Amino acid sequence: MSSILELQNISKNYGSSVVLKDINLSIENNEFFTILGSSGSGKSTLLRIIGGFVKPSGGDLIFNSKVINEEPIFKRPFNTVFQDYALFPNMNVYNNIGFGLKIRKLDPKTITDKVEEVLSIVGLNDFKKRMPHELSGGQQQRVALARAIVCEPKVILLDEPLGALDAELRKQMQLFLKDIQKKIKTTFVFITHDQEEAIFLSDRIAVLNNHQFEQVGSPKELYYNPKSKYLASFFGECNLIDGTVDHINSDIITINTAFGKINVKNKYKNISQNQNVTFAIRPEQIFLNQNKDNNSFSTKVDRVEFKGAVTNIILNFPKNIKIKVQINNAEEQIAINENDQFNIYFDPNFGNLFVND
Amino acid sequence: MTRAETFTKYILGFLTIFVVIALYAPIVLTIFYSFYKTRKGKVDWDSFSYEPYTKLIFEKQILESLVNSVYVGLVTVVFSVLIGFYFANYYHTHKGKMREFLQFVIFLPFLLPPIISGLALLIFFREVGLPRSLNTVVIGHTIFVLAIVYKIILNKLETLKPSLMESAYDLGANKLQAFWYVLLPNIKLSLVIAGLLAFTISLDETLITLFLIGDDTTWPIKLWAKMRVGFSKQVNASVTLILILTTTLVLLIAWIISKSEKKIMY
Repeated sequence: MSSILELQNISKNYGSSVVLKDINLSIENNEFFTILGSSGSGKSTLLRIIGGFVKPSGGDLIFNSKVINEEPIFKRPFNTVFQDYALFPNMNVYNNIGFGLKIRKLDPKTITDKVEEVLSIVGLNDFKKRMPHELSGGQQQRVALARAIVCEPKVILLDEPLGALDAELRKQMQLFLKDIQKKIKTTFVFITHDQEEAIFLSDRIAVLNNHQFEQVGSPKELYYNPKSKYLASFFGECNLIDGTVDHINSDIITINTAFGKINVKNKYKNISQNQNVTFAIRPEQIFLNQNKDNNSFSTKVDRVEFKGAVTNIILNFPKNIKIKVQINNAEEQIAINENDQFNIYFDPNFGNLFVND
Repeated sequence: MTRAETFTKYILGFLTIFVVIALYAPIVLTIFYSFYKTRKGKVDWDSFSYEPYTKLIFEKQILESLVNSVYVGLVTVVFSVLIGFYFANYYHTHKGKMREFLQFVIFLPFLLPPIISGLALLIFFREVGLPRSLNTVVIGHTIFVLAIVYKIILNKLETLKPSLMESAYDLGANKLQAFWYVLLPNIKLSLVIAGLLAFTISLDETLITLFLIGDDTTWPIKLWAKMRVGFSKQVNASVTLILILTTTLVLLIAWIISKSEKKIMY
């Protein structure tokens, strides 16, 4: 794999308000890359900079080792799928999809062949004579995608394309997108505010927070090795336990918390004695009823939440600390009731420490 | 249905009929009297004739004024739609204070009493040494109808999503192609409507025309002059002809639009 698109120190401000600062990114060829951020984080602006709709205030955009800052939109080998689909209301499905090819002055026979091929990829053969307003949201979305695919761009930019769809359709379209991307082997740069969607779809994710990338990595890296407390609770649920560093040796860091000492595997370089830290651990990484000398704590059950495949158990620790534990109902067949005494164990291999300023 | 409801229904129905009659009766009567004569307030049913129409051909002055009016109307349509589109598109795609000022400048001549606009233009043309003619009338009409044309086109532009043009560029279209294949088809109806309105306003504009016209004459001014010396059947006939002409024009355009929407491009 080689890098197809690079962003170097890209920044954008409107007057005095900063939208993006020092964005550095390298997108590999044929990967499904997601830019994830909450609304107002600047993710759409970033995509629009790549697409050429917005000029960056600083930095370089590099495509195949060539700076393309000044390249106009219509010359960039990218195509965009817009959030509102942006289909041409005056053209039917067939003409919408063929538009990019017609502009390139391909002969009508080639256009027909390519459009028909893409129509069958997105499963809209029977709809080619429909006008956009005669299609459902999901169908319009597929036309928008087909219109981009047919141009055979090097990169397809998708600006929250599933944002306007209802939950059920959204799931279908996620699967559909993933399949298409595998089939046509093209780089996708996808934008969303939905973590689950990002994890499900992406090869790599960049999380945008406070105008900068908080972390770039695979879904697993982001989930299991978040670089900040923000990220730890941004992806899925996470217990955050405050403490101070008690002592450090080469393998283990011991921290003092409100309910006792916890040993954590030492994989950190920036942590020193007596520092204030937060220990972050996911509910499914906490184990129960394993009586060990260290890292084992007993307390009362506050609440039990049955969720079908899993059960969440919320435990009450001193100083009103609540710890959530998730158990797999297929594996653990035990009856747990409120106010039961309960034993949990933190495996030192799991969880992450974050230094608090 | 209660009595009160029935009563209201009849009242409303009666009102509707009254309004429709009030709107169309004068037009129908005008057409009617172009064919029939009246004697002592009674219609002479045996007097039906095409004569006023055939006579119209020999009424050179009316015909000439009609040709002048159509010429002025058409040229006004071309200029006002072109300029109106340019300004509307500028307002739509630019930000800043300049565009608000521009809009004010466009609206002003329409909001001012026509007599002021006419007088101001007359003085202006005199100062720059432009002799009065049909062309100065065209300039006057264009300035006058520009506000309406501009507003109709701008309203349509504002209903289009910004992503529409962006997606055209994104798919490789340059500015001209994006305009021709995407923007124009989506606003053409508003251009036609704006043009039609500009034509009708220009056709019956009298006040500004009076100031700006030289030795020529336009249709409403000719009619007005004729009315002063008494009614003639030829006036009715020319009104009827114009009515038929504009109605056919509107129907034709509506038909073209409904056809073109179903057409496949390639």
